[in-house]
Formats: sequence, C-alpha cells, structure tokens
Amino acid sequence: GKGNGKGPGKRKMPLSVARKQQAVLANVDQVTGERIPKSFVFSRGKLPSTLRHLQQDLRKLMLPYTALKLKEKKRNNLKDFVNVASPLGVTHFLILSNPKSLPHLRFAKSPQGPTYTCQILEYALAADIANSQKRPRCPAEIFKNSPLVVLSGFNGLGEPFKSFVTFFRHLVPAIDTDTVKLSTCQRILLLQYDKETEAIDFRHYSIKLQPVGVSRKIRKLMQNNQVPDLRDLKDVSDYVTKAGYGSESEPDDEAATVSLASDIDKLNRASRKSAVRLQEIGPRMTMRLVKVESGLCSGDILYPQSVGKDVKEGQEEEEIEDAEDMMELEDGTEEDDSGDEE
Amino acid sequence: MADAPAQPAPAAAAAAGNPHKRKNKGKGNPNKKNKKLKGPDDATRRRHKPSAKFLKLLEKRARDYNSDDDDDAPQVRPRRSQPRPPPKQRDAAPDGDDDLKEAPSSEEEASSSGGESDGEKAVTMFQEGCRAFQAAFTKIMEKKLADNPLGPILSADKKLVAAKLAEEADEHKSKGEARKEKRLAAQKGHKIPENAIDNKEKMLIKVATQGVVRLFNEVSKRQTRKGLNPSSKDVKSLAKHSVPSSEGQQGQGSSKFSKNIGKGEDEPGWAPLRDTYMLGSKLKDWDKAQDSDVAKPSEVPLDNFSDDE
Repeated sequence: GKGNGKGPGKRKMPLSVARKQQAVLANVDQVTGERIPKSFVFSRGKLPSTLRHLQQDLRKLMLPYTALKLKEKKRNNLKDFVNVASPLGVTHFLILSNPKSLPHLRFAKSPQGPTYTCQILEYALAADIANSQKRPRCPAEIFKNSPLVVLSGFNGLGEPFKSFVTFFRHLVPAIDTDTVKLSTCQRILLLQYDKETEAIDFRHYSIKLQPVGVSRKIRKLMQNNQVPDLRDLKDVSDYVTKAGYGSESEPDDEAATVSLASDIDKLNRASRKSAVRLQEIGPRMTMRLVKVESGLCSGDILYPQSVGKDVKEGQEEEEIEDAEDMMELEDGTEEDDSGDEE
Repeated sequence: MADAPAQPAPAAAAAAGNPHKRKNKGKGNPNKKNKKLKGPDDATRRRHKPSAKFLKLLEKRARDYNSDDDDDAPQVRPRRSQPRPPPKQRDAAPDGDDDLKEAPSSEEEASSSGGESDGEKAVTMFQEGCRAFQAAFTKIMEKKLADNPLGPILSADKKLVAAKLAEEADEHKSKGEARKEKRLAAQKGHKIPENAIDNKEKMLIKVATQGVVRLFNEVSKRQTRKGLNPSSKDVKSLAKHSVPSSEGQQGQGSSKFSKNIGKGEDEPGWAPLRDTYMLGSKLKDWDKAQDSDVAKPSEVPLDNFSDDE
C-alpha cells in the first residue's frame, strides 16, 4: 500500500486511509486471523449486454474483496485465472456463462475446490430495481465492507446443499461478533431456498437503522440539519408534537427492533431501540443448482443435472429417465421424477 | 478532336465538385488566369444554356462585324487568340476545372474568329468539337428524369429491377427477423421487476430482516456483556445453539449467519496472540492427546496454508 506520505513530493494521505487500503490488500484478517476470501467475477464465452451488466452488478456485490475492474480477454482460459489468483490471494471465482442462451452462474473455489453450477432462471439488474423504487438508495460507502450472508430454507437438505451452505459462508470474511462494529454491516446477501420450486432466491439489500419512537419530523430534522419552517406555528412544541402522517411503510413490528450496543451514528445511539429497515439494491436472481463438480469446473460430478434421481457419483444416471417412476431423494422425501434435462 | 474536350471536361466536373481539390494545383499562375477567369457559376450556367450576357455579346459582335475591316480585326484576333490556346493546352492536363473556364472563354473568342481565320485550323476544329460537345451536353441535361426513387435505370428492363428489389427486401426482412430473435434470446431470463413490491418480496425482506436482527442482538449482547461479565459458558456453544433454538419460535426455517467466530474466553482477543493463528484448529494441541477435540468453529478455508505470507 501507499506509504504514509512523509517523504518529500509524496501525496499526503491520512493514516486511516492508508491503513484501510492495506487492509483490503491484506490476505489475513487482522482480528480474526483468518484468510480473507477474495473473489474474481468474470465470464466465459460471449455474453449479451444485459448479462454483462449483471456481471458488473455481481462485482459490486462482492466488494471490497474483489477486482472491480478486472479485464479479461477472449483468449484467457481458466488456467490463466487460476495462475493469477494464487499470488493475489484470490480464493473464489464467480463465473457467468451463457451456454445455449441460458445464463449460468458458477461458484467455484480456487484452485481445486468444488464448483457449483446454477442455472439462472430469472434475473433483474440493479438498475432495473432502482428504476422500480420510489426512493432508490445506494450510497457508495456501503460497498466498503463485505456483505453479510444469510441462508434460509436450507435446513435438512443434505448434500449437495449442505456443502453449498458452507461454501457461501466462506465466501465472505468471517464476522467476529465480539468486535464487529455494527456500522460496518451495511449490506446483506440473502439466499433462500424454496422447496416447492427448488429454486434459490438471491437478493441483495442495504441495511438502514432507524431509531424507533422518534417521529418522522424530528428524524428528518436531524438528518437534514436544516432549520425547519416555523412560520405558521406559535411555539416550538407545536412543531414537535404535531401528529404527522403515518409512514406508509411502517413495518416496524417488534421483530425488527434491535437494541444497539454502541453508537452507530447521530441518530442511532447506544442502548436505544432501532428498527432495521432493508432496501433492495443490487441484482436479483432466481437460480437452480444443476451441477456440482469436485474440481474447478472439472472432476467428478457430485450432483447430477436432473432432479429426482438417486444422488450418486457417475454420469450413467443422467442417461436414465423415466417419467413415471417415483424416486427417493436422500432426505427421505419422495418426489415425482419430473426432471428436466438440458 | 471531340474526345479531347470530352475527356478533360468530366474530370473538370469531378474536380469542381470535389471541395478538397485545390484549384491551382501548383502550376497555375493566378495573374494570368484572373484575366479570363469567370466564377464557377458562370461555367455551370453555361452548361445548361448560354447566358443572356453572352448572347448579347454575340449579337453585338455580329452587328459590329464588318467584312471591310478584315485587315485589322482578324489580325488582332488571331494574335490574341493564339497565345490563348497554348496556355490553355499547356494547363489542360493538370487543371481540370480551369479548362472548363477556359473553354467557354476560348469558345467566345474562337467562335467569333473561327469563321474567317482559315489559317487557324486547330482552333476551328476545336471550336466545332466544342460546339458539338455543348449541344450534346445540353441535350442530356435538359432531359427530365423520371422521378424514380431508385435513380436512373440504365437498362430499361423493368423485370430485372423488380426481381432485384424483391430479393433485397427479402434479405432485409430475414435479417431483421434474425436480429429480433437474437435480441429476444439475449434478454432471456431478464425479468424487470414491477413497481409494487409483491408478497414474495415482502416475505424475503422479512426473512432477511430477521437474520439481521438476530445478528445485531447477538452482537449487542456480546459487546455489552464483554466488559462487565465474561460468561463462563462456552461462547461457541452460545453461537451455535442459541441461534437454532430461536428458530422454532419463528417457524420460518433456519437462518444462518455468515460464519460466526466464537472463541473461548481464555484466548486473547488479538488474532496473532492466539495459539491457533494461521494453523487451524487441527494443530492446536499438537502435543496433547488426540481425543480431546474441542473443535473451534474457526476452520481455515484453505488447507494449504503453506503459501501464506
């Protein structure tokens, strides 16, 4: 990283910024002592323009431990990426591809880790989502920290989803609950598994903490730092106690309230109740896990393509298809073999 | 002879139309030219029909012509006309459009003097050629073109033209269709969200919120408690079990945080001071018996720690 700017002619950089830069470049988390997982997001093959935007959105999602401006050439193949990854400490790859016009996203661990191939059934870009919202909110500072990962609906699924869950937990740096500052948790990545459709919903939200029990007016006053218009009022108490409109998005049940350990910012102070409000940013995807390989896009196939077969190693199972048979899945539920093969 | 004026003239036309071509390409002597240079308008106008001015001049000369003055007039004229063709011919090659300007002017002179000066054979033949050329050119320019959007069709075979047009239209249509299909395929799966947040999204947001709330509560519990009362319970078990226990109440299915590090209270807070720094839980008690395996949840993601810096 850059020096502290003490030398003549060097740009002066405040120590905090220099330290932050070094922290991002570091391989090992200072506090937890573990390796920080870094990722590359790139594509194989030709992608249409919307998928390119999706790739850029995914890169932003993986910030700060990813290469935002990674430049890939047509003639780069996977080996090149692996070779570049190890000296830089990059541990995970997210690979977008578009075989037969069906977008696929592969999550892989470098250099010899497993690869999870998911077919993207539907997706929406970050720009689409911002267009659909009344007040899109995406300040740049929320990308300074890694997102939290929340996995839901994966209970009791067995392989391959168990390892899928572990994989995702390792995709972002670990959180040490004793020392983490809540102000650094600003984004959340949600993966929810839907049992009926067997699809994984992939959502990306930004976290906003709002103090509970403070009326809208006072909150705005503190946020805007502007003197309110008191022309029509006789007394300040009129301004403070006047009943305003109820906010139309009042989701605040008790469930969403937390009690903070420390000051987050001006509004949310220690040991006060704040409500957690999420707003969607970033890409939205619905995917289905179609293949698991034990190597990096190679190796044994641990999870066959079509759903509803006995989960065994080997590729012979893929040839067999019988629409009438009921087959048993590993976790004991029975399901009609309505598998769709590519 | 008719070829000579025909050839430079189209070149001149091309050159006149080309704005980038310099008019006096190095060889022109501006002084000499300026005497007889008419503006380009005059030259183009001349193609369509002789200007009124010129006609008047011709008429005037015809009126003034007196065969009795043959001794003086022809002598003056040939002498004047003679130096003109040589410089004109000299510059005919490089100077296309000057040629055009010269031609009308020399035509003027030559036409008036051509009839009587038999000695000027070259000028006479040139003058005839010029006249013929002028007539032909004017005839072409006067012809009205059919207002065909395709432009002038040289071969009048309408059927051929129609066939070619049909073929082009076909190609265009199929290309357009192919392009549309391609665009549709590219957008496959791209689903633009509608404005209203529907129930599914609301549910997802709720699930995510619960996860966040749980994490924040844990954090606040831990952090407020840390200074006051270090708990004797194994913190790791707290992390692992208390979270699942609260799930049953919610009934939403499990939510799991990003990997939670719980460590024993007796270990120092700063990572390098711990025994398991960069070694992983496996090598923690390497000198003790293997059975006691208080596995820390802090697994090292990669086993090959040898390439750590």
